[in-house]
Amino acid sequence: MTTATIPTGHNALTGFFKKSWVARTLMPIAIIIIWYIVFYTLDSRIFVPPHKVFAFMWDELTLNTPLRYGSVKSSLYGMFGITIFRLFTGFTVAMIAGTLIGLAMGLSKSVNAFFHDWVMAILAMPALVWGLFLGLVFGFGHQAPIYACILAGIPFVIVNVREGVRNTPKELFDMARAFGVPQNHITRNVLLPSLMPFFFAAVRYAFSVGWKGLVIAEVFGADTGMGWTIKFWYDAHRTQGVIGYGLFFVIFALALEKLVFEPLAARSFKWRPRIGDIGVVEEKFILDPTIDGAGEAEYAREGGLDG
Amino acid sequence: MAEIRVRNLHKEFGVGEDRVVALEKVNLDIEGHVFVSIVGPSGCGKSTLLNILSGIETASSGEVKITQDAHDANPGYVFQAARLLPWRSVMDNLLFVQNERDEAARARCQKYLDMVQLGDKGDKYPGELSGGMQQRVGIARAFSIEPDVLFMDEPFSHLDAITARTLRRELHEMWKQTRKTVLFVTHDVGEAVELSNRILVFAKGGKLEDDITVDLPFPRDPADEEVAVAKAHVLRKFEELDLLAT
Repeated sequence: MTTATIPTGHNALTGFFKKSWVARTLMPIAIIIIWYIVFYTLDSRIFVPPHKVFAFMWDELTLNTPLRYGSVKSSLYGMFGITIFRLFTGFTVAMIAGTLIGLAMGLSKSVNAFFHDWVMAILAMPALVWGLFLGLVFGFGHQAPIYACILAGIPFVIVNVREGVRNTPKELFDMARAFGVPQNHITRNVLLPSLMPFFFAAVRYAFSVGWKGLVIAEVFGADTGMGWTIKFWYDAHRTQGVIGYGLFFVIFALALEKLVFEPLAARSFKWRPRIGDIGVVEEKFILDPTIDGAGEAEYAREGGLDG
Repeated sequence: MAEIRVRNLHKEFGVGEDRVVALEKVNLDIEGHVFVSIVGPSGCGKSTLLNILSGIETASSGEVKITQDAHDANPGYVFQAARLLPWRSVMDNLLFVQNERDEAARARCQKYLDMVQLGDKGDKYPGELSGGMQQRVGIARAFSIEPDVLFMDEPFSHLDAITARTLRRELHEMWKQTRKTVLFVTHDVGEAVELSNRILVFAKGGKLEDDITVDLPFPRDPADEEVAVAKAHVLRKFEELDLLAT
C-alpha cells in the first residue's frame, strides 16, 4: 500500500484569503488597480481615472453641480426618483402578468402552445429595438421606458414560473391526496413553496434585465431619468458622468440585493442546508482524501467537507 | 372493524401495443386487525394496488370498498421515500395531514413522534435528519391521523439493513399497540414473514397467485427456526409459481 500526505492548503495565509469578505474586497481593489493601469497606459483625455469618477459622484450626491435644467428635479435625486418609479412600475406589471401567464403555461399544454413562440420572440428581441420602437410610438415621457422594462423583464418571469410549475414535486401532491388534504392547503403548503426558488430567480432576472431595457428606452425615448442623464454626459464628452451614473445604479442594485432580496431569500429558504454544511466544489477537489488512510485521517481532522 | 373488499379489480396503462396490464381481475377480502404483506417480483402491480386503494390512482374497472364499522375508512400511507415537505418542520409535516390543526392534533402528533423516538425533533427540518429518521417521521405522520387502515409501500427498502431492522421492530410495536389493519408492500420475503399474519403473492401481469397465512407468535426473530421455515415455505411458493426467475 502506498501512502501520501495530502496538502490541505489550510495555512494562515490561504485561510485569510478564503474568507469571503476578503475575497469580496479584493475584487474592487483589483478593478481599481487595473483601471489606473489602463488610464496611464492609454494616456487618453476621454478615459478618466477612478478618483475623478468618485469626485464626480460625490459632487452629484452633495448637489455640488450646476443644475442642468435649472431645477432641483434634474439633480441626481430627481432623475433617480423618476427612473426608480418607472422601474418599479414596469417590474411590478412584469411580475404580476408574467406570473399569471407562466402559471397558465405550466398548467395547460394549450396555453403553453399559444404563448410559447411569442415568449421566445420577445426573449430574443434586443432591448435596443424595444427602446427605439417604443420611443417612436410613445415619444418622450414615462410610457416608453415603462413598457421597455415590462417587455425586457416579462419573458424571464414567464419562463421561470412555467418551469417552476413543471418542476413541482408530483410525489408530494400524491402524498397530500393520499391523506385527503384539502386543495387550498396543498396550494399553500406544496405548490407555492416549491415555486419559490423559481419565483426568486424570476424577481432577480426581471429586475436586472428590466433595468437594462428601461435605461436604453430612456436614452432614446425620454427627456428625464438616469438613462437620459447618462446620454447627457455622453453628449458632453464627460466620461465620469457616464461611468458615475452607471455606478450609482450598480450601488443601488447591490444594496437592494443585500437589504431586500438576500434577507427575503434567507427567510424563505431557511429549510435548505447551508452552503457551509454541504461544502464547496473547490474543497471537494483540493481536499480529496480518498488516496489512502493517512489522507482520510488528516481530512477528518480538518473537519471533512464541513470544515 | 376495518374491512377491505376488492372485486374484479383491473388496471391497465397505455394503449395499443404499449398496453400493460398492472392488475388483472384481483379479488381480495381483508378483515380486522391484521398485518397483510403483499410480495411479488418488480412490476407485478403491488404498488399500483396500494395506490388504487388509497385513491392516488383510479382503477380501469372493478370495485374497491374500504370501510370501518360500515362507514368509509380513514386511510394512512407510508411511502417508499418519506415524501416529507422539505420546507416545513417535522411537526408541521405531521400537522399538514390533520383534519384540524388544533392543540389536540398537536398533542397527537407529539405522541406519535415520541413513539418513533423523535419527540425532540419536532422543530427540525427534514433536511436536517438522516434517511432513517425521515422514514420514522413518515411512519409517525401516517399513525398520527389514527387511520383505520394503513398502507405501506416498501417503506424500508431505501434504508441500510440495521436501520431497517430497528424500524421493523418499532413498526411491530406500534402495530401491536394500535392494532390497525396494515397492507404492507415489500419485495423482501423475510420482512413479510417477520411482520405479517397474511402474505399475498402477486405474479407478473398483476395476478394474485397465493394467499398464505403465517400462524406464528410475535415477536418473530429472523434467526428462529420457525421463522426460517416459514420464509422457506414462501420462497418455495415463489419457485412453484416461477417467480424467482423474474
